[in-house]
Amino acid sequence: MPQTELLETALEEARAAGYIGRNVLGSGFDVDVLLHRGAGAYICGEETALLTSLEGYRGEPRLKPPFPAVKGLYGKPTVVNNVETLATLPHIVRNGPDWFAAMGTPTGKGTRVWCMSGHVNRPGNYELEMGTPIRELIYEHGGGIWKGRSLKAFQPGGASMMVLLPEHLDVGLDFDAIAKAGSMAGAGAMMVMDETTCIVDVARRLVKFFEHESCGKCTPCREGTYWMANLFDRIEFGEGKPGDPDLLLDMGYNIDGRSFCPLGDASTWFPRSVIKYFRDEFEQHIVEKACPFRGEREAVA
Amino acid sequence: MAVVTDQVTLTVDGQSVTVAKGTLILDAAKKLGIEIPIFCSHPKMEPVAVCRMCLVEVEKMPKLQPACAVYVMDGMVVRTRTEQVQRYQNGVLEFLLANHPLDCPICDKGGECPLQDQTYTYGPGASRYDFPKKHFDKAVPLSDKILLDRERCVLCWRCTRFSAEISGERELALIQRGKDTIIGTFNDQPARSEYQGNWTEICPVGALTSRQYRFISRPWDLDRTATICPGCSMGCNVHADARHNRLGRFQARENLAVDDGWLCDFGRYSFPSFQREGIERPRVRRDGRLEEVSYEEAMAAAAQSLRRAGPATAGWASPAATNEELFLFQRLLREVLATPHLDHGRGRGEAATALEPDDAALPIADLERCDHVLLLGGQAVIDAAPVLHLRLFKSERKGVRVHRVDDARAALEAVPAEAQAVGIVSSLGRKPEVDSLQGKLARKVKGSVRRLLVPDGPNGRGATDLGFGPGRGPGYASLDGKAGRARPDWEAAGVRALYLFEASPLHDFQASGEEREWIQRLETVVLQRPRPSPLDDLAHVILPGRAFVEKAGTVTNMEGRVQRIRPAIDAAVVRDDWKILQGVAQALGADWRYRDPDEVFADLSRAVPAYRADRIGERALWSERA
Amino acid sequence: MSLRKETVAMIREYARRYPSAQSAIIPALWAVQHEQGYVTAESLAEIATHLELPPSLIESTSSFYSMFLTRPEGRHDVVICVNAPCGLRGADEVLAYCERTLGIRAGQTTQDGAITLRSTPECLGACGGAPMMQVDHRFEENLTSERIDAVFERLRTEPAPHEVVKPKAVAPVKGEKARSGVEGARPRARRTQK
Ligand code: SF4
Ligand code: SF4
Ligand code: FES
Ligand code: FES
Repeated sequence: MPQTELLETALEEARAAGYIGRNVLGSGFDVDVLLHRGAGAYICGEETALLTSLEGYRGEPRLKPPFPAVKGLYGKPTVVNNVETLATLPHIVRNGPDWFAAMGTPTGKGTRVWCMSGHVNRPGNYELEMGTPIRELIYEHGGGIWKGRSLKAFQPGGASMMVLLPEHLDVGLDFDAIAKAGSMAGAGAMMVMDETTCIVDVARRLVKFFEHESCGKCTPCREGTYWMANLFDRIEFGEGKPGDPDLLLDMGYNIDGRSFCPLGDASTWFPRSVIKYFRDEFEQHIVEKACPFRGEREAVA
Repeated sequence: MAVVTDQVTLTVDGQSVTVAKGTLILDAAKKLGIEIPIFCSHPKMEPVAVCRMCLVEVEKMPKLQPACAVYVMDGMVVRTRTEQVQRYQNGVLEFLLANHPLDCPICDKGGECPLQDQTYTYGPGASRYDFPKKHFDKAVPLSDKILLDRERCVLCWRCTRFSAEISGERELALIQRGKDTIIGTFNDQPARSEYQGNWTEICPVGALTSRQYRFISRPWDLDRTATICPGCSMGCNVHADARHNRLGRFQARENLAVDDGWLCDFGRYSFPSFQREGIERPRVRRDGRLEEVSYEEAMAAAAQSLRRAGPATAGWASPAATNEELFLFQRLLREVLATPHLDHGRGRGEAATALEPDDAALPIADLERCDHVLLLGGQAVIDAAPVLHLRLFKSERKGVRVHRVDDARAALEAVPAEAQAVGIVSSLGRKPEVDSLQGKLARKVKGSVRRLLVPDGPNGRGATDLGFGPGRGPGYASLDGKAGRARPDWEAAGVRALYLFEASPLHDFQASGEEREWIQRLETVVLQRPRPSPLDDLAHVILPGRAFVEKAGTVTNMEGRVQRIRPAIDAAVVRDDWKILQGVAQALGADWRYRDPDEVFADLSRAVPAYRADRIGERALWSERA
Repeated sequence: MSLRKETVAMIREYARRYPSAQSAIIPALWAVQHEQGYVTAESLAEIATHLELPPSLIESTSSFYSMFLTRPEGRHDVVICVNAPCGLRGADEVLAYCERTLGIRAGQTTQDGAITLRSTPECLGACGGAPMMQVDHRFEENLTSERIDAVFERLRTEPAPHEVVKPKAVAPVKGEKARSGVEGARPRARRTQK
């Protein structure tokens, strides 16, 4: 549990220095920070599920309205911020809002940390000014596609976001621009895929993730992600049927916008986008009754 | 000019409807006769919107909205039958059925299953799900009453919400998550709730079923009778479902004023005790042996013996007998035999304490409108009328403070002086204590103090109202110094003959060993009862009568509500109890000519004006007495 | 096996720390797993008693989260992430390598009881260091066969994490309840070897 330990240590130091606790730095102001550890549930990233979890229940999302700002934790008005916001705060406090706003684009100010993974030479976390072209992130900071290969596709915003193609490389890293390109900046996780990637398999893993993380509260998400995962498994492992891509699209229709919370909705976005751009690869899997990319997997280095 | 109103007007499928603010789309549509399919929604539970069956289009909202959880707004435009909605309804049913076992032919819910019905109306023709279905445990015994089939469960959360919001026991819970989610009790321990039968009624599929009812019948084969639960003085309304003249189950028949739509397991699962095994004939003891005779002979024999004892006769009535029977029985005893020794009920002295009408009785539903309720006697009171707990828990959720106290002193302390409306709930046997507590509280608190007393048996209240006790006549009329003695004093009072009238195996005469010895010494024991009884050995005349579920008449619940009971099974040649009582009276020379229970009721009304034929189903209003 | 006195004290303290005892369920589950390595039905019932909550609620909560183990497993918990970003960098092969090296399949425990191997579709939050594995809740990133071998070798001899440091007794809360409920006794962050 190194992260919790680090945080606990930091909090102890802050408390010892009088930054938190009673009478902060003699100001008469009391504030404290309590570290409450979760226990493994992606759904708790949904703000109401987080509150439900803090209250000791299963981390299932709640009906909105009422919104947390009106009725949140223990029924009291609650502000929910993520780490990204909190991490930005000290810098804004130290340097002033103008300094922050001077960076980025008119629609996306300041900076953002991008977590880059996949087939780049230097994966990792990069803090960049908003609006920086995606090309710069992947090719300069990430050192380009590994093994001298070329880019097949990338996913710009985390597990749920729609796939983008090399033609989108000059899109800037900001919310509006990425949305215009047909995806979302979401959580700021950039997954890069080289030409050898089986996109069906990537979608399969992501769908299995959503299946695993569905809280099970609502029907479309609970049953739909399970069904989609089954379909992806059989396509990837050579047992797909000709109607499967359309069945997946139809399932997406019945899940997206019908689920209780965005987790269910979002489970369909990447799969649907890859069926749109890479339908031929699905068909190849089905016709050849095997994954055409299997031979090219990376061995353990 | 803007008019401030609490009403909003919206359009559903092109029709305009005006409803109160805070109405759900679902209910607004219902008002127009537009049915929106649901699974998880339940009128008595908080909306959770988990099943997603009820999604509809609402103009200006990008996503389909759950009609069961979205409140109406002025000018809202709702569409429930668009192509989009229908295509999705197909989809959600396909999801629900994907892993459903589809074992309808052997499912107890078949024929009355919302999942089955909605699949016919809104569902896809065939499923595109062609994987092996998820397997979960089937026929898991949740308790000695309930079986759980986890494959059939659609995870609507109704049972778990019942456990949390209705009974408050929090015994059922969701376990695991996502596709592995199941419902169950902690560590699969047997469920202990007294309200489990309700789970089977609210479950929209055949996941929770009663072990008793399992595979007994298909719903369409059942004969359904609207009657009252024989369990206790709560007077919960039930449907008694029978097949081939055998009772198959009791189901709730919602009466918001009484049961709020729920039953307890004691009442619900009491029906097997009423099953008649074969037909009995009357018997008369001759030379020490019981011989079968005709009703006429038996009634004549009873009359002959009773005439000898006359005023030295005592009559014990079941608190499960109808008002009509009790009225006749007390006439037989008082008018024909001229005896004052009447009593009823298993408890001792209950009848003797009720000496005036309970004018200030608190209606059951008004418990919700108190600010403090004293449960004097705690769990014992609940045990005597279990559904009361559900009403009290509901009240508590609404903010009523319910104090469980054992004695009057604690009760008095529990309620603060600023209380606005105080309710005392206790057993009728503790009436003297309640009387004095009520007086003290009335002096202590600002607001009103009312009480709800729980008698023994489904018609204990009727028995006291009709004067079936030693101290008061029908309608609490004074006996002008001719009061009789209560059951414990009969021996001392020189009683020589005993007429016992049982009506329900749940509320039989319970004789102590000592009492049995006394009965053995009596010169006459007439036993009118629905089925063989341990007292048969001591009886001189046995008159087989009908059980609670086999007869027509009225009974009065704890709050004074006079409700109709109807025969759910046909007892054929077994004579109606009122006819037997009339027959015995006639054999004793009385000129009675009632043709049916309604005629008896008409007569009863004359003696007890609070009981009115045009107000059956409502509470008897004593203060309106002329 | 009932809970140690210190763990019980900790659970009771958690209950006081929040406006509702229910919020103490997850911290209590951690405390139990910390002490015993996993959470049995018996422990769930014990938590319920100490928090004065229905046991069904504790089971309902604990079974929802993926990090609470319900039965004794190997001394060390090795989880390979096989979500997409790790998949792109050879997570399947890492898993296969681990299975080969340990001679067990995912979900099993080595004969000597040292290691339980699992895989998860849940991103463990180190995608930038893929392929990765989580060893007793610590990350091992950028895995190579040498690295994996070294980790396994260490685990073969190391005791289980919950046996290394016993939970410390919590000081009783003094005086009034802290307004934020945070002060006073708090469980110490556990420090282990590295
Ligand atoms: S058992 Fe029935 S009532 Fe309970 S969640 Fe399942 S379907 Fe709903
Ligand atoms: S509370 Fe009484 S009347 Fe109601 S179901 Fe139970 S036994 Fe029957
Ligand atoms: S009935 Fe509305 S979501 Fe279930
Ligand atoms: S995908 Fe493996 S750590 Fe994120």
